[in-house]
Amino acid sequence: MRLFKVIRLATRDYRHEGQMSGFYILALAAVLGPMMVLFGLKFGIVGAMVDSLVEDPRNREIRPVGSGRYDAAWVEAVRARPEVGFLVPRTRSIAASMDLNDSSVGRILRVELVPSAKGDPLLPARLPTPAGYQRIVLSASAAKRLGVQAGDTVDGSVARRFRGERERVHLPLTIAAVAPAAAFGREGAFVAVPLLEALEDYRDGRAVPELGWDGSAGEPRTYPSFRLYARSIHDVAGLKLGFEKQGIEVRTQAADIELVQRMDRNLSSIYWAIAVIGLVGFALSLSASLWANVDRKRKELSVLRLVGFRTGDIMWFPMVQALYTGVLGWGLASTIYLGAAEAINQLMATQLAAGQTVARLLPEHYAVALGLTLVSALAAAGLAGWRAARIAPSDGLREL
Amino acid sequence: MSELQVAAPRHDGAPIYQLRDVIKTRQSDGIGFQLRVPQLQIGLGEKIALIGESGCGKSTLLDMLAFILEPSQAARFQFHPGGGREGLNIADHWRHARRNRLGDLRSQHIGYVMQTGGLLPYLSVRQNMNLSRFVQGLPDDDTVTDLAKELGLSRHLDLKPAALSTGERQRVAIGRALAHKPSIVIADEPTASLDPFAAEKIMSLFIGLVEELNITVIVASHAWRHIKRLGLRRLAHQTRRTSDGKLTETVVTG
Ligand SMILES: Nc1ncnc2c1ncn2[C@@H]1O[C@H](COP(=O)(O)OP(=O)(O)O)[C@@H](O)[C@H]1O
Ligand SMILES: [Mg+2]
Repeated sequence: MRLFKVIRLATRDYRHEGQMSGFYILALAAVLGPMMVLFGLKFGIVGAMVDSLVEDPRNREIRPVGSGRYDAAWVEAVRARPEVGFLVPRTRSIAASMDLNDSSVGRILRVELVPSAKGDPLLPARLPTPAGYQRIVLSASAAKRLGVQAGDTVDGSVARRFRGERERVHLPLTIAAVAPAAAFGREGAFVAVPLLEALEDYRDGRAVPELGWDGSAGEPRTYPSFRLYARSIHDVAGLKLGFEKQGIEVRTQAADIELVQRMDRNLSSIYWAIAVIGLVGFALSLSASLWANVDRKRKELSVLRLVGFRTGDIMWFPMVQALYTGVLGWGLASTIYLGAAEAINQLMATQLAAGQTVARLLPEHYAVALGLTLVSALAAAGLAGWRAARIAPSDGLREL
Repeated sequence: MSELQVAAPRHDGAPIYQLRDVIKTRQSDGIGFQLRVPQLQIGLGEKIALIGESGCGKSTLLDMLAFILEPSQAARFQFHPGGGREGLNIADHWRHARRNRLGDLRSQHIGYVMQTGGLLPYLSVRQNMNLSRFVQGLPDDDTVTDLAKELGLSRHLDLKPAALSTGERQRVAIGRALAHKPSIVIADEPTASLDPFAAEKIMSLFIGLVEELNITVIVASHAWRHIKRLGLRRLAHQTRRTSDGKLTETVVTG
């Protein structure tokens, strides 16, 4: 009940001193706004930089040394581990090639076949993925040599020596997409695992009933190798250790990862150092100005004390006003930030990839800014109010 | 009414204040001041005048009687707001730092008029006069409007204090001190900042209202001239300075 009365009085005073209140709001926003812009920039730029390093597939790759014998169950089990981002088995590299022939030009090109699937880190997510026995993704250099583009069809063929005879099978292949040059430098094609398995079986003289290829009966399949990418660079070391425990020797970009991780750590600690210094400074300046404001109002607070308001009420009076200043100042600061961020992002739009921003804040950053503002404002105003309530009304009333 | 009659102590009503050996010492720049009250009894319904030159300790005494200044020592400090036998031990409240309890007593029983100021600039005249009722949650009846009429403030009820003259502001302060119908009104030189003519007019208005509402009043003034015709009991006091000039002592009895 009394709190409600204090809120009414504090609100009247806040409105009566509209200009003064405006200055306090402005002063708060003038410190907080630019700081949010600074943090937005730090977060946006540093975030993008670290993300691109952390997500670079080359740094996430784990390559087995030599060849082993991995069955389908093993592959499934490893793929199910949360640290594993992408895993497909490789067939024997001797069998992993194919002759491509563009019928219109009549040029024949032998390409390396790379096992692939949906989510291949080397292929941009927006491209169609290789699938089944027909859909393949060509490397940029292969597409250039053949003079084909996405949507074209080429003739693929492999030869074998079977029961003393040389024979060759043909397969019509659709170019689902052409991979960017960075994905694979040589002449090659990303193909689905079933196609590689079929080609290996054919070369080994086994039958592939799905494609009508003749041969002997199949045996349980093992793969000599695999393509594996960790979910992030931070998972690489753990996975490597796991493989070594299983007796599988693997190679990783440990040195590069170490570098990226150190950079990530250093940038983060610089970021936090600036954040903490800035926020502490902001909290202190806000507290000082609210404290001074309560001192200015000591006489009026003593009048409230004189007519019977209690210590708690006297504390709430400046706290209510600090709440107004805090919320309105934060709102203004957020508006300043949004305007500045929009301008900066527009300015840099030409240098950025789609969806990338230079200045960026997450909702939780706004919440942290508001929380910090309110906590320091309420603490300072409450403490100053408590002090004002402690002095004898007689002294407060007779202050000049 | 003769002056002799006025000056004679009157203890007809039940006591509202009973003080014994109450002392307040203050120190500033090596010069000390001490107010001593060996014995003071104020009856319910009494009208008391405290007359003395500036610096003799009038405000000090009134602030202690209004519970806004803590006594340095008090053998006995009883307050009987209703004039009943059971009094409230104010010395005890101070000793235990019950500031909120003292605040409650002020809001219920005491009206206080300061020499100047004391109005809240963000409230209208009506809201300022209503403040002492607002804090207690008393109903919004015609009290403030009626008081304003008596004080000649009807036209100003919706103005802020900044738009008023000094005399008008003092009348608002008087209105606020009376609006919640306290047992006692304490006024510390309420007319000192006004010209003699206005001062006399407002003082007699004030005393007239207090009599009409049957409220006990203690008023301090540096000039007896203004109030000698208003029928107040004058509180006796003596001020003296120690030979080294380091300590001024005022002794009040009554
Ligand atoms: N807050 C204070 N601190 C120290 N000394 C004070 C204070 N207030 C008043 N005094 C001293 O107490 C004495 C009495 O003051 P006061 O009660 O205000 O006198 P009056 O109201 O009669 O003018 C003065 O000498 C003054 O200097
Ligand atoms: Mg005084």
